[in-house]
Amino acid sequence: MQQLTFEVNGRREVVAVDVGETLLDCLRERLHLTGAKDGCREGECGACTVLVDGQPVDACLYPALACEGVSVRTVEGIGTPSEPSDLQKAIVEHAGLQCGFCTPGIVVVLTALLEAVPNPGRANIQTALAGNLCRCTGYAQIEDAVLSLASGAKDGL
Amino acid sequence: MTNIGSDLPRADGWDKVAGKSQYTVDYSESGMLHGCVLRSPVVCGRIVRVDVEAARSMPGVRAVVTATNVGNGRAGMLVRDQTLFADREIRHHGEAIAAVAADTLAQARAARDAIELEAESLPALTTMAQALASDAPLVHPDWESYALNPMAAELRRQGNVAGELIADPDGVDEAFERAHLVVEDEFCVDRQYQAYLEPMSAVARFTDGRCIVRTGSQFPYNIREELAAYLDVRLSDVRVIGQTVGGGFGAKLGCGTEGYAAVLSRAVGGRSVRVVKTRDEDIVTAPVRENAELRIRTALDAEGNMTAREFSCDMDCGAYGLETPTFPSILFHFAAGIYRIGPVRVHARAVYTNTPPTGAFRGVNGPAVYFAVERHMDNIARRLNEDPMAFRARHMLRDGDTLLNGQALADAHIAREACEAVQKSLPAVGARQSGDRLRGVGSATGFWVTNPLPGSVTITVGEDGRLHVLTGANDNGSGAVAMGLTQIVAEAMGVSTGEVIVGLPDTDLSGYDSGSQGSRTTHIVGKAALIAIDDLKTRIFDVARQMLPPGANELELVGGMVRAVGIGDAQVPLAAVFQMANFSNVSLSGSGTYATTPPAFTPGCAVGLTMPSLLTPTYHAHRAEVEVDSVTGNVRLLRYVVAQEVGRAINPDGIMGQIQGGIAQGIGFTLTENLRLVDGRYLERSLEAYRLPLAQDLPRVEVVLLEHPDSEGPFGAKGVAEPPLVFAPAAIANAVSDAVGKPFYKLPITPEDVLFALDT
Ligand code: FES
Ligand code: FES
Repeated sequence: MQQLTFEVNGRREVVAVDVGETLLDCLRERLHLTGAKDGCREGECGACTVLVDGQPVDACLYPALACEGVSVRTVEGIGTPSEPSDLQKAIVEHAGLQCGFCTPGIVVVLTALLEAVPNPGRANIQTALAGNLCRCTGYAQIEDAVLSLASGAKDGL
Repeated sequence: MTNIGSDLPRADGWDKVAGKSQYTVDYSESGMLHGCVLRSPVVCGRIVRVDVEAARSMPGVRAVVTATNVGNGRAGMLVRDQTLFADREIRHHGEAIAAVAADTLAQARAARDAIELEAESLPALTTMAQALASDAPLVHPDWESYALNPMAAELRRQGNVAGELIADPDGVDEAFERAHLVVEDEFCVDRQYQAYLEPMSAVARFTDGRCIVRTGSQFPYNIREELAAYLDVRLSDVRVIGQTVGGGFGAKLGCGTEGYAAVLSRAVGGRSVRVVKTRDEDIVTAPVRENAELRIRTALDAEGNMTAREFSCDMDCGAYGLETPTFPSILFHFAAGIYRIGPVRVHARAVYTNTPPTGAFRGVNGPAVYFAVERHMDNIARRLNEDPMAFRARHMLRDGDTLLNGQALADAHIAREACEAVQKSLPAVGARQSGDRLRGVGSATGFWVTNPLPGSVTITVGEDGRLHVLTGANDNGSGAVAMGLTQIVAEAMGVSTGEVIVGLPDTDLSGYDSGSQGSRTTHIVGKAALIAIDDLKTRIFDVARQMLPPGANELELVGGMVRAVGIGDAQVPLAAVFQMANFSNVSLSGSGTYATTPPAFTPGCAVGLTMPSLLTPTYHAHRAEVEVDSVTGNVRLLRYVVAQEVGRAINPDGIMGQIQGGIAQGIGFTLTENLRLVDGRYLERSLEAYRLPLAQDLPRVEVVLLEHPDSEGPFGAKGVAEPPLVFAPAAIANAVSDAVGKPFYKLPITPEDVLFALDT
């Protein structure tokens, strides 16, 4: 076991982790942040995506001990059921989720996209989602949700 | 009406989007152990020795179980041909041999790896041809002794044939003898993995001698039935509690991990055990869509009218039956498509092989059958030099025409309406080429059904007037509960959807439900809710009448109030009605159960028919426009148009999601998803190798919803979820054939197939 000090969703956390433990296990098992999902543990589905210093990573492959001193943001740090972010609200309102298992990872990735590119087009969104599998929705309504924010921004709404 | 036909947000959406929904993998209990399963590396063989002694004494290990120490009862959807663990025979790669429970998952895995398995490999039947050979050994030498579930009463079985359907009407041979032209095609389709994002998982414990299992299953009542059979206990000694389902698409109708969690918990004296499949394990053991071989011959007269057909099909069950033995019956109903053909001879078989078992995948064998039927229709039209849609229109069933089972199709004209709608949105212009790019258009049309099996609902008014809905129905993600049922209840009770709370299923509490399968939930469970509400409203009104001014005879529910019609603004809130009822010995709760009444059909239309009729048909037309890159062989969807009849749209955005998502799975099945068996083992064993469509591979589907309210359905709603996937492969394969100018007969159509066709 080794001690890890890092920031998670704006809060300083000190946890003991195993050598070789993934960031995903650390978040889910030690901090009980189960928003990031384990869809494959092989870096293919994107359901485990979190932001490490603002960059999306697959938490299932990312070593927890590499997070010393960094700032991690998970879906729980983006919004809550009663106070969702604009993106989360738009995804629900555009029916951009079904089973919801992929959704936390997609929210995280698209939050990063919107921070980097405030007015993404459909192609930007599709490229951003290249690492996130969604078996239910066929993605279109997720894209619509993001586009609604972009056009909202343009209209000054 | 404000709740019906509205794009209201799904009830579970806010938790899901914030990462708060609790899937089984997120659920734990105090003292919970972790389980894992040792699976056979052998494709077919005999267990010589399983030595678990070393494993048992490893750190943290609490139990190791095998066929010899768990009682190993038999279960199955139709035929009880399956045990939790291989006993002596190993019938497929990945079959369970033993399971371990330990304090940590790492300890459980280490102990599993320390189990010594000695197995003698035997020659395996890895193809249907091998299994059907007259001298083939039997995959299940004891097949005759297996118990059958009630649904299997008509099932015809013989050796390696797990289910066989034969329809042999008069006049087929005569029609072929007189034929002016006979068109004959052979098709084959490969397996498809459901690829739900949440791997199968379950948490089990024993309390008061009963087994309690938490699982995100599509069909908790079936899990209970299978578990009771595996554990050899009474049905009521198992309690299954639903969790949020992370996708299933048919794969989570039967036991995946539940049985292993349960026997491990029993072995450790009742402590909780969680079992989660790894992705590799999930792929190897999921009840994937069956591979199939289909042959169609159609006789035509001098005017180009179809006069008879022969249709035969073999589908691969794998080593255990699951749902697959009933698929020959489903094929039978769709063997003529939606056309007047004359007599149709059908011979369809589900075949046991030494491969991982296949089972239900959204639309069951519909995608393969319609692929064959609708590709064949295009081929016939081409032979006749006729426009494919004009040829279809000439043969399409008319209202009141009968299907192969003798059942009348009352509203067949809706299929024509659907064809006209797609023609208007995307006129077929014929193949064309620009540079290296070839473009083509393809269509498919037909009907599909709504699963009729029973469901039940109980609705109770709470102390604060809110409505609690208890049902065994689970939302598999489709929104059938979170949108459909919720909106139906809100509308019928005159409240907003926020006043309706639908709990997760619990087999101790919620009343029977036949599972989220066959596009049934909105239609069946919605209807059961309306029956419950009739019952509930009578009780509410009886109590409210005592609280309202005299003369308040006709009452209505509006905005959470019981209102007297025609007496000024006399009204009383539901919460007050509850208080009154509570002290008047009236229970403010109503229950309803519903299953569709089967229509008349011709007994004896076929033998081995496990599903004699088709209920609540819906009508569909699809059209795809593709662009084929003649250098790389890649196929891109340029446009995709769907005209779908839904009865009545409860939540149009929700239906859009079902269509877009279903088409995406159809595109995958047709173009990119390839689950290949090589000598009984899958080649694709990860989500990297198994290529699901990505956002950039998918067009935004253009949808025309056709509404023809069903007289029985809740507010007219019919089933919605499966048909998008059922018709997509046919439409896309027709479009690729059109673009390339060569017919395609196999799915998936890979870039190599396209290049090969272009070169020959
Ligand atoms: S769980 Fe990390 S990519 Fe799938
Ligand atoms: S909503 Fe189910 S996988 Fe995306």
